[in-house]
Amino acid sequence: MTEKQVTVTNPLGVHARPSAMIVQTASRFASDVWLIKDGHEVNGKSMLGVMTLAAEMGSVVTIRADGPDEEKAVEAIAKVFEMRFGER
Amino acid sequence: MEAVTIERLLEDRRQQFELTVIGGRAGVKKRILNAEIHRPGLALSGYTDRYPHQRTQVLGETEMTYLNSLRPEDRRPVLESLYRLGLPLVVITKNLPAPAEMEALADQYETPLLNTRLSTTEFITRLSVYLDVRFAPSTQIHGTLVDVYGVGLLYTGKSGIGKSEVALDLIERGHRLVADDVVRILRRAPQVIIGSAGEHLGHHMEIRGVGIINVEKLFGIRAVRLQKRIEVEVRLELWRGDAEYERLGLEDKVTTILGAEIPLVTIPLSPGKNITVISEVIAMNHMLKVYGVHTPREFSRALSEEMMRRSLSAGYLESDTE
Repeated sequence: MTEKQVTVTNPLGVHARPSAMIVQTASRFASDVWLIKDGHEVNGKSMLGVMTLAAEMGSVVTIRADGPDEEKAVEAIAKVFEMRFGER
Repeated sequence: MEAVTIERLLEDRRQQFELTVIGGRAGVKKRILNAEIHRPGLALSGYTDRYPHQRTQVLGETEMTYLNSLRPEDRRPVLESLYRLGLPLVVITKNLPAPAEMEALADQYETPLLNTRLSTTEFITRLSVYLDVRFAPSTQIHGTLVDVYGVGLLYTGKSGIGKSEVALDLIERGHRLVADDVVRILRRAPQVIIGSAGEHLGHHMEIRGVGIINVEKLFGIRAVRLQKRIEVEVRLELWRGDAEYERLGLEDKVTTILGAEIPLVTIPLSPGKNITVISEVIAMNHMLKVYGVHTPREFSRALSEEMMRRSLSAGYLESDTE
């Protein structure tokens, strides 16, 4: 199991489009992926799950993956957060 | 689990419980750490051994009449011996007036003192329900909950296996969606778990290739419900040639969610298999079991009896040389 904490840095937070980017990235990997915020844990491959996290700017999200490519999965998803979902 | 502060209780239930704050306002940030409620009858008479001071204290007509029968100089020490232990909250029912000493102590120890118009029994009943829900163990899982013929079926399985699609098909046949993707679960009794939609989710669903849909708007109010007891977990998985699947159903498999044991049915998916009809059968079969009919056991017993009967009569006829 691999884990990494990331901070949401774009002003709009994880709204619909960023959620889609996260889910699409997570779905490329065979590992199970979860996102955790304030004790709420959702499946990282589920669109509604990620959206209902409602992670606003400044919130801390833990990315957790478990499976054959867990490290790559966590890195790839963390990168999506770091590039602020392509937003300013 | 969120902490229940007095402030929170007032926010949630001030109207329904008809509460007014009459003292100790500085203590509204105090937390109620216990779901239990106590009536401090014996403690007021001075016996404070084993006194559960961490519970919400409710004083009714009996307690107040007793307190008012005391001389003011006796009343204060009795009450102070309780306040000194650190009470979270004191509530006086039927809007009975609090003696001046009580209001003073409430302020001094920063312990909120509330009045309610409700009777003691009524107030305790309502507060217990509120606190029980607040303190109930809860969790959130990835799955889909549908009410099928009144039986709560919780679909689980890997992302993309088709849980939402099964739910959609069931809705089309008149069953009701509780939550898709994120199911919030609350344990209300040792063996009773209740599922509802997670925060912000409502009755939305994601269908691959289509996107997000609103089931309530599309199918109408009869297609949804807010919460449902979870009675069977249906685990969907891809058909694996090497795995053993249930053929007889003689033994009931169970899964544990929040300590509650729930029957588990694992369904292997393969092309052309109609999961909707199987789901309806799972729901009906569960109801049959609840009503005391266990088909595999009855079938197996009938078979054994028949074989026993045959072997007995065979033995009898063999030695019959008439």
